[in-house]
Amino acid sequence: MSENNKNQNKKIEKSFWKSLESYQNDSKLNLENEFEEGVTDDFNPSQLNGISRRKFLALLSASAAFTAAGCSDYHDQGEIVPYTNRPEGILPGSSNYYASTCNGCSVNCGILIKTNLGRPIKIDGNTENPINNGKICAKGQASILDLYDPSRIRKPLLNGRETNWSEVDNSIIAELNKVSESGKKIVLVTHSVHSPTFKSVLDKFLEKYPAAEVYSYELFNNHNRLDGWERLYGNRNFPKIRFDKADVILSLESDFLGKEDNFIENTRLFAKKRDVNNPDEFSRLYSAEGSMSLTGMNADYRFRVNPSNQIEFVLSLLNELRKNARVNISLPDDLESLVSNYSLSRFSEEKGIDQIKLNYLLEDLLKPGKNALVYAGNALPLEVHYVVNIINEILNSTNLYAHTSAAVEVLKLNRHSDFQALGLELSSGNVGAFINLGSNPVYHFQDAGDWKQHLSKVALTLSVVVNENETSENCKYVLPAHHYLESWGDSQTTADVYSLRQPVIAPLYNSRQTEGILLAWTTGQTYTEDLYHNYLMENFKSSIFAENKSPLAFKNYWLLALHDGFVKIKTEDKTLTPEFTTPLQIPNSSKSNEFTLSLTENYFIGDGRFANNGWLQELPHPVSKITWDNYLNISPKRANDLNLKMGDMVEVTSGDKKLEVPILVQPGMADDVISIELGYGRTNTGEVGKNVGFNSNIFLTSNHTNTAYFYNNVSIKKTGNFHKLISTQEHHAVDDSSVKDFHKIRNIIQEGTVDQYINDPEFLQHHKHKIFSITEEHKYEGNKWAMAIDMNKCTSCSVCVASCNVENNVPVVGKDQVENGREMQWMRLDRYYSGTPEDPEVSNQPMLCQHCDNAPCENVCPVNATNHSTDGLNQMVYNRCVGTRYCANNCPYKVRRFNFFNFRDYFADAYYDNEVTPLVNNPEVTVRSRGVMEKCSFCIQRIMEARSTAIKENRELKTDEVTTACQQACPADAIVFGDMNDENSAVNKLRKHNLAYHVLEETNVKPNVTYIAKLRNIHSEDA
Amino acid sequence: MSSIDYSRELSVIEGKPALREIDDLIAKPLETKPNIKFFIGLGITLTMLAIGVIAIGLSFYYGTGLWGNNNPVGWGFPIVNFVFWVGIGHAGTLISAILFLLRQKWRNGIARFAEGMTIFAVMTALIFPLIHVGRPWLAGYLMPYPNQHSLWVNFTSPLLWDVFAVSTYFTVSFIFWYVGLIPDFAVLRDRTKTKIKKAIYSVFSLGWRNSNRHWQHYEMVYLVLAGFATPLVLSVHTIVSFDFAVSILPGWHTTIFPPYFVAGAVFSGFAMVQNVLIVIRKVFNYEHIITIDTLEKMNKIIVLTGTLVGYAYAMEFFIAWYSGVQAEQFTFVNRAFGPYAWAYWIMITCNVVFPQLFWSKKIRRSIPVMFVIAVFVNVGMWFERFVITVTSLSRDFLPSSWAYYTPTLTDFGILIGSFGFFFTFVLLFSKTLPVVSIAEVKAVVDGSQPSHEGH
Repeated sequence: MSENNKNQNKKIEKSFWKSLESYQNDSKLNLENEFEEGVTDDFNPSQLNGISRRKFLALLSASAAFTAAGCSDYHDQGEIVPYTNRPEGILPGSSNYYASTCNGCSVNCGILIKTNLGRPIKIDGNTENPINNGKICAKGQASILDLYDPSRIRKPLLNGRETNWSEVDNSIIAELNKVSESGKKIVLVTHSVHSPTFKSVLDKFLEKYPAAEVYSYELFNNHNRLDGWERLYGNRNFPKIRFDKADVILSLESDFLGKEDNFIENTRLFAKKRDVNNPDEFSRLYSAEGSMSLTGMNADYRFRVNPSNQIEFVLSLLNELRKNARVNISLPDDLESLVSNYSLSRFSEEKGIDQIKLNYLLEDLLKPGKNALVYAGNALPLEVHYVVNIINEILNSTNLYAHTSAAVEVLKLNRHSDFQALGLELSSGNVGAFINLGSNPVYHFQDAGDWKQHLSKVALTLSVVVNENETSENCKYVLPAHHYLESWGDSQTTADVYSLRQPVIAPLYNSRQTEGILLAWTTGQTYTEDLYHNYLMENFKSSIFAENKSPLAFKNYWLLALHDGFVKIKTEDKTLTPEFTTPLQIPNSSKSNEFTLSLTENYFIGDGRFANNGWLQELPHPVSKITWDNYLNISPKRANDLNLKMGDMVEVTSGDKKLEVPILVQPGMADDVISIELGYGRTNTGEVGKNVGFNSNIFLTSNHTNTAYFYNNVSIKKTGNFHKLISTQEHHAVDDSSVKDFHKIRNIIQEGTVDQYINDPEFLQHHKHKIFSITEEHKYEGNKWAMAIDMNKCTSCSVCVASCNVENNVPVVGKDQVENGREMQWMRLDRYYSGTPEDPEVSNQPMLCQHCDNAPCENVCPVNATNHSTDGLNQMVYNRCVGTRYCANNCPYKVRRFNFFNFRDYFADAYYDNEVTPLVNNPEVTVRSRGVMEKCSFCIQRIMEARSTAIKENRELKTDEVTTACQQACPADAIVFGDMNDENSAVNKLRKHNLAYHVLEETNVKPNVTYIAKLRNIHSEDA
Repeated sequence: MSSIDYSRELSVIEGKPALREIDDLIAKPLETKPNIKFFIGLGITLTMLAIGVIAIGLSFYYGTGLWGNNNPVGWGFPIVNFVFWVGIGHAGTLISAILFLLRQKWRNGIARFAEGMTIFAVMTALIFPLIHVGRPWLAGYLMPYPNQHSLWVNFTSPLLWDVFAVSTYFTVSFIFWYVGLIPDFAVLRDRTKTKIKKAIYSVFSLGWRNSNRHWQHYEMVYLVLAGFATPLVLSVHTIVSFDFAVSILPGWHTTIFPPYFVAGAVFSGFAMVQNVLIVIRKVFNYEHIITIDTLEKMNKIIVLTGTLVGYAYAMEFFIAWYSGVQAEQFTFVNRAFGPYAWAYWIMITCNVVFPQLFWSKKIRRSIPVMFVIAVFVNVGMWFERFVITVTSLSRDFLPSSWAYYTPTLTDFGILIGSFGFFFTFVLLFSKTLPVVSIAEVKAVVDGSQPSHEGH
């Protein structure tokens, strides 16, 4: 159990006292340990041969608590009435935590949901769940807002008019039977299905309606990866990669740290190899990519490679590497002859890639005693993945494969081309029913023809969705689905983990669980909230429970599993042997001098699913810092050639597809690549995401030469129009001499290389200013809170910002206010470029209130609204603040945020100011009014909670007992928080580290946030 | 040897008017009905005032978000306007108090008006600290009043010093102005024929009977108040400059600010007085009281303070370079060549270049030219405050948080409103009170002072 988790558990546990003697810790009573055995202790059913009475009772009360929470009618009656009969397990003012499973993407992370008085207010990772080990992404963090989204459908709709469920049930069942009798097809469309139980519901449905067919899809999927794997190994169980064991990583067009597959876990593992206390073990990351990704930003070496040249690159690599292979693998003749045609030197010459760096790469990949890994991105064609798998065999990197946690497919995803076929089928009139279960093919598959016309030919069209979307608007029935926080469910995405999902709030609206609806129609039962719940339990009983052969009674086992949120499944590691069965066909990609268009997923709104989430729309893009828009990235050189500036509109032409989009000049782009993110340009979603950005799904086609994600021979033409792109950071040209490298000149970013650090561990300390005070310094007795941020680990993924937004009730201000520079996020990730525009070096820096000892904000406030606490916090007293903004002016870090309007009701005509949305607010954090200054508080509410626990337990507040929201969320564990007065605290050690520095040290504001300088793992010749 | 006698007294008032004529002339605007031109003028200023009131009302209703202020640039137009108007308010007390102590008799013709403008300018300035805060309804928190919450103000904050400095200055200036008016109220009381006016003037003249004792006491009080007001002239803008100088922001954190701000304030104050006086002396036929010689002397002060300000601009650059602090150096380079270079060069042109024309006597005595230059000085001084406030904030320590500030229509509305407020008071003043001190002018008419020469 990790340290964090213990803290977490501390919060769940309550200490009770029966008498004042016991409260005052009378040893005679010896009750100290009575409640130490909490309900959340480690649990392993296989080792369990019984359950203690106490544990059973605890479990019982916990389950009663969530049942009570789940069944109570939450709707606000407009009165505040104390509980006369308090539901067991609910203590007003304290929070309950429930384990569940996220369904934001295909990873299905384990989550822990914090609820207060029956309403979920925060989602964090479940520390026990091996899929994500306590961390979740920004989407998962912010997904709680979707639960309270005012645009959710509240009642079933028939042709746009409200109706009721019983009518819907009856008429749909009748219509389904009619369709079934007519012999026409029933089409079910859904996103990826990871739930074995939902799969069995679907199977049941298919059994009843044999004419039915399920189409499950993800716009961004790992088909190519799995196909490449399958071709070499004969299965589709791609293993989990042990990035924490990889010394050299070559990432090919892969954003494995930013958005690809389980990037949160990847980040966690990757960061482990960036430990400054272990500089010899530092990993070296090479990235070869066409457009600037988050992974590329963090690479030690970066090559600009057009994605369509990657096949050439990997074949050249293979040719070079096999000469010195660690493991000799005899390639089949066809591959042998093919590979021998390629050479790395020719590749570097033709594509203009630095030969020296490529030699480094070769050298590093083959360095004895080091684990090297080549990792290809999901966007690359299966041939690349296939060759990469062979390279990894040659490099003996297969020991980095964790087959125990290999991916499993509950339901195989459909291909893009299947939807084109579906389009044809729909238009032919062969389909009698079209059932959309939470997906949005109309928006995603624009090349499947005119969906409006397609669907008009279908007798029964229905959508079961949480929010209206482009697909549901063309459906006869629109049925409200539960949000995942209101639903039951299970999922299995990796071989070793089976996760459970439980509702943490009673349905807010008259919605139903998708699986339950289908089950009711299939079995003819009446829908109840328990229908799917029971079905799930039955399914669990016959599968997981039966397989695990637990000695526990089923009910106990089920409750324990629910409590933990997952069940671990025993799996065996294995060794796979490559088999060369199918000869390799190199895709014939005709390339002219035009651009290659690369289509990528947005970091935060995904494929458009999260478009109506204001927190995510407003989260600055990790690379460009742009909010509320998508745009075409182009290299500075080409932008200059074409006389384009940020915001100029261009017409992009790919085949017969045309789109007008604004451009962004992005340093680090390959000159022959342009890229655009999908997920924008939604026309039917809530107020937030409607018409934000440009719908670039039109470029997606199954009729491609490479993969669906990049297209050659794309041309652009300046149209003369202009679209203002809104960034939270001013865009300066990298080589603008007047502001070049300011972050280094001003010691904002201090960096070194690994070699430099090994040779001279104190290199950073040599140039430090000696600052002294002529007066006596203020002494801090007891706790003094401080933070340290390890820049070696931080990848700029921005999850901390998302977590902070949720924890601290940070409002959404909207595009117009971000344009005015009034975003309210308490934390930001500063991004600085140095080097050349072609090959920039990127430095990221999380910036938040530094809680300076000599805080310049404090002495200028005329009313003492911002002042210093005895435990070293720079505090804001909102009630006292008049709003002179002097503090913000005098803050050298510019981390203070002013409420220029009442941002609770400002955004989109008070979109978030309704009866429901304010329920997302953390009751421990004041909701700030207009005219008040605010800023990071070091999560003072969490400090206070820990302190009150310590007081109740009559003990000192222990170090590292408090976890801030950003720290808890950081997948890389780059943020450390604690008591710097404690010699043994982690933060104290980091403050004294040789690589520790403070930003703007020479201003002598004495910040309490320490940064650990980034070490770049580059060859010493390059330093 | 030249034949000029440098020790001779220059006459301040031209044409040796009789004392009665002076009474008639100065009281004339108060005794005649305002003409149509006055109402047109008043209409214009009231319209401007109404624009300001609407803009402020909207800001109160919706929030300070209606302005251009953003995250790095916490202070925008309101603070610029505040400093500008406080600066304007410097000329009056300087003319009436410091020049009085220095026995500069030429000040007598213009002191009253300059003092009046001081009062109105400070009143205008005082609007801004109140409206610029996020929650104006809580502005009372800035006052140290005993309360059961044990809440106290923060005496280390320059903003609090401002509260006291400006309010003290206003109080003293106002008393000084009023004391100076007492003998004139008596003159008016004695002249007026309407009952209401008589009653009002009687109250305000405090029973003045021109007795010797009255004059003795009066002269003593006036002298003491002049002594009081003199340090305030220097302190107010010093403390206003502390708002900037005490901070750690590059471009604000400068020790030259106090003298530089005072010089700038006198500079802009004189320019504003010049602008208004040129109009007043023409309209009210005071050419022989507010003589061209007086205006020339004012111009000399303008060129002096303008040069001082120019020196300060140069010294800021020198010190930034000399300090070796990169952030400091960049701030000044950025002022001159960054995104706000346009504002900087407007400032330099108006404040440093144009006033230098006053080295030429011909220009110093040319009314149209000096009027135009004075307008330029006012524009330039407004931009000086803009440059200091906005450019420093928009690009400070961390390049990641730099942002450009663009004022909104509401900002301009409030700026226009402040001019409307000021000039409305100026117009009303010109028709309700003697804009030139009757008593003091009489004191400097040729022959009014006993002289031993020739006796």
